Amino acid sequence: MIVTRTWLNNFIDLSEVSDETLFKSLNAIGLEVDNIRTYTIPDKIIVGKIVSVEKHPDADKLNVCQIDIGSDVRQIVCGAANIVDAQYVAVATIGAKLGEDFEIKHAKLRGVESEGMVCSASELGLPDIGDGILILDDSIGELIIGKELNEYKKLADTVIEIELTANRGDCLSVHGVARDLSAVLNLPITDFDYESQSLEKLGLARVSKLETNGVIDASVQYVMANMEEIHTSLLFALRLAFIDKLKLDALENILSYITHTTGVILRAYDVSDIDLENEEKVVINLSNNEGIINVFINEKPCSQIGIKQIEESKANENSSRVLFEASYIQPTQLVDIVSEHKLETDELYYNTSRGSEPQLSFSIDYLTYLFESYNKCKLYNGVISLDNEREDKIITIGTDEISKLIGHEIDKSEIIRILTSLGFTVQNSNEENFGVTVPEFRHDMENIQDITEEIVRIFGIDNIDAKPLQFKEAQRTNSTTHKYYAKKELRSRAVAAGFDENISFAFSDKKLLEKYNFPFIKEELDIINPITTDLNTLRTTISINLLQAAQRNLNYSQRSTALFEIGTIFDENREEKELLSLIYSGQKESEYVGNSGKPKNIDFDSFVRKLSAILGNFELRTSTRDNALLHPYQSADIIVNNQICGYLTKLHPIVRDDFDLDETFIAEIEFDALIPKHIDAKAISKFQGVYKDLSLVVNKTIPYSQISTTIKSLALPLLNKCYPIDVYEDEQLGEEKSLTLRLFIQALDKTLDDNDIDSTVNRIIETLHTEYGATLR
Amino acid sequence: MENLEERIEQANTLEALEKVRIELFGKKGALAAEFAKLKDVPGPEKKAFAEGLNKNKAKLQAVYDERYELLKKEEIERLLKAEAIDVSLYNNLNEKGALHPVMATMDKIIDYFVALNFSIEDGPKVEDDFHNFEALNLPKNHPARDMQDTFFFKDGAVLRTHTSPVQIRTMLAQKPPIRMIAPGAVFRKDYDITHTPMFHQIEGLVVGEVGEVSFANLKSVMSDFLHYMFGDVEIRFRPSFFPFTEPSAEVDISCIFCEGEGCRVCSHTGWLEVLGCGIVDENVFKAVNYKNVSGYAFGLGIERFAMLLHKIPDLRMLFEGDTRLLEQFR
Repeated sequence: MIVTRTWLNNFIDLSEVSDETLFKSLNAIGLEVDNIRTYTIPDKIIVGKIVSVEKHPDADKLNVCQIDIGSDVRQIVCGAANIVDAQYVAVATIGAKLGEDFEIKHAKLRGVESEGMVCSASELGLPDIGDGILILDDSIGELIIGKELNEYKKLADTVIEIELTANRGDCLSVHGVARDLSAVLNLPITDFDYESQSLEKLGLARVSKLETNGVIDASVQYVMANMEEIHTSLLFALRLAFIDKLKLDALENILSYITHTTGVILRAYDVSDIDLENEEKVVINLSNNEGIINVFINEKPCSQIGIKQIEESKANENSSRVLFEASYIQPTQLVDIVSEHKLETDELYYNTSRGSEPQLSFSIDYLTYLFESYNKCKLYNGVISLDNEREDKIITIGTDEISKLIGHEIDKSEIIRILTSLGFTVQNSNEENFGVTVPEFRHDMENIQDITEEIVRIFGIDNIDAKPLQFKEAQRTNSTTHKYYAKKELRSRAVAAGFDENISFAFSDKKLLEKYNFPFIKEELDIINPITTDLNTLRTTISINLLQAAQRNLNYSQRSTALFEIGTIFDENREEKELLSLIYSGQKESEYVGNSGKPKNIDFDSFVRKLSAILGNFELRTSTRDNALLHPYQSADIIVNNQICGYLTKLHPIVRDDFDLDETFIAEIEFDALIPKHIDAKAISKFQGVYKDLSLVVNKTIPYSQISTTIKSLALPLLNKCYPIDVYEDEQLGEEKSLTLRLFIQALDKTLDDNDIDSTVNRIIETLHTEYGATLR
Repeated sequence: MENLEERIEQANTLEALEKVRIELFGKKGALAAEFAKLKDVPGPEKKAFAEGLNKNKAKLQAVYDERYELLKKEEIERLLKAEAIDVSLYNNLNEKGALHPVMATMDKIIDYFVALNFSIEDGPKVEDDFHNFEALNLPKNHPARDMQDTFFFKDGAVLRTHTSPVQIRTMLAQKPPIRMIAPGAVFRKDYDITHTPMFHQIEGLVVGEVGEVSFANLKSVMSDFLHYMFGDVEIRFRPSFFPFTEPSAEVDISCIFCEGEGCRVCSHTGWLEVLGCGIVDENVFKAVNYKNVSGYAFGLGIERFAMLLHKIPDLRMLFEGDTRLLEQFR
């Protein structure tokens, strides 16, 4: 919503209010000032009256003008074609500065003396309102020859752009903003009142009639005029240019201007063809069709109230007879109807859906005034109207309740003053709880909280003392809180292991998910309106997002990318789960003297050790997954607390090529499995233990995990630790491999003797021999 | 004797000195030879001779010890020198990663509210119309729904457009009093220089008995929070509109780039809008069947805070995993 200082001044006297106070007041009452443009016209630019215009003797396109500037008549050469239509113009006299290095000087143009310049709107720094020079008229104030133009405040105006919240349809007009301002500035609002001066002899009632079909839940007023030579005054053109609504058609401009000024929806129908001389009548029919109020004129469909007007019915500046319609329809019912029927709407729907001004006579009076004052138009006597009488909305309020909501004692008298100034009517104010009648233009008022908001706005948030809340302490940590701290801890460890934290959108490209054999959301549960095709579904893995990030980094010449992300993924049924996803691509460490600037690429060994620094202990087993990122011989399921909770893999070379990456490893682990579990400490032995190495020859295909499981299942009381320390394969061994295990044997209650040690070691050897045919090397 | 001392002084390495030691003090050394002569010395002179020998031995030992200390010191010095490293070659090895600035900002915000005895709550990203809109006083066709371009699913579900549905879920699951925050990702169908289809918010809700929680309380906690985040800034409350709170306010801080003078970042207003808040609308309480309560709520965009705090110029770069940005936070 855009207003200007002088436009507001039509309704509220702002002469004693500084710009600063004005902007501050608007912000303070919730009309957020988004942008301020102040137009200033340079000094020494004055009103001139054209005395004569003659063609330049040596230049076709130039005219030599004699212009009265009050003190003198000056000869000025002018190139604009529209100078011939002009009477009053803006003259930049010698010494005027139209820019940093543009000063008007005495000049000679093709041999003719020129003492000044006739200016266009843009040369004065005003918005563009048409070709050629600026033609002045008295819409900006009485034109006094020789008067400095910057004294015409309607030209050198301040334009204020307000960011309006969705509930404030009442402020979609200059009058509405002025009304709100009057409450906070404690200044009276000037109502507009106009009595028609000269009317057509014919009464409107004699030449027209209004019919209705069904319940008409809207208010309308009609007037009719014979139109002749209407034009857009300078002031209208300028103000419409400020609000970016200046059009070529003068009638369209007048309608926009009135709607923007009064907030009333005003439409114009061309009724020139209706032969009133021969007893024909203008028949307006309003019909309710499933809540939509259709307007027909002489059976032609013309508009739907509050929704749109049919193009063919629109009057323009050349129409000789025009029927004007001011209308109001309740916004809440309107938006339901429009949405239900999926109706097409026009520009004014923005206003009607947020609540236009219901006082229709305001715009009709304004139109009458404009037509009679500035244009050669005559109105038919009388108004046809249909009033949809609504019951008054009364809200009961109490000073105490309002004060408690605000947390600041506010006097009843102050509450009454504020509400009255906002157009509310206060009833039975002597009682503790009293009623206030809501003005019709505030359809957003429903309850005491709405009223409290009005009090807060006008009383001023700055005037409310901040008070810390006294509350009851309580144990408020919960599972979500614990989870957050577990996540934070995990993130810190990932960072310590050299990974940067990533955030990517929880979307994916369905094609990629399919290509890499990841699940995707069932068709019937998918997004209807994706933002782009490469974000057209919810992700079921984070790894693809990380691969894309790694690819981008490589394009920026980064030789190594290590990223992790803890984020949400979704399964086929759109169930949500949080994953920790990691990628390590390219060089495994930075280039430095230690590796002579040639670090090796990441490998299984380094990646797994980094992972262990983040996750703690985990087991790896041959992978059971089947997504296409997996390297068939360097991938694994990750097992934490005996549960498969993720996987890690070297990136399959085909996928690596798809993303143009170097050696890359990825891992994805379900976050919930990583939340630390409660731990009870075990007793520690005070007796010495022994290390024993066992070198076994066993079939190549048997993974260590099987051997480890078997040993664990023996539950040997003295076996404290068992881990692999060497694997060896060669031709001699053929289909077998040599695997060396290190055992740590220790008893809780005594020093071991040889028997103890041997029995533990032998149990292992025997079992592995029976189970896997393992032999000692 | 003089000659023996000289031989000690002339030993230049510990090995050479050891050789001299054996020659002088060893079983077959020079001193042993001198002591051997003692048995040939006649009785009455024996004592004086022995005293002389012992004196000489002690003197030689002292010279030796001194020499040894010196050479030992030189030897260690040499060993240390051999291990010299230009430590500055190891500057900035960059072995640590970085937390994402948005997540780190979220952590900082959470720290504040947890310290004020707020609980952390969460909810699903895929929401239904009731929790995301209806219960938050955003009935169908409400113009405020336009403010939130929504991603819809074929079965009528939506991606949550704000963290506010967590308020509803928490109130339905718990009884007042409530002090909660809900951090997390939210989604809007908007993608340009200043909008991404996913971003993060933190929502806060406090509910107490009727008449207990007021706008003045909200003003107090929001001011304190913003001072915690941004330090010594000016704070401005502007009345605003949100469907789920009333009265509502938007809160601005004085521009931290130009200190209120007016610059590009603050659109020459001198103020930066940072959060929205208000008194919980009675229609929201009705939707969760709470009676005789009062409460305040607030919400803010974490990316905005992170960008202001760290002067990050472009929103979109926060979602690209660009290590050139991230490594700055290592």
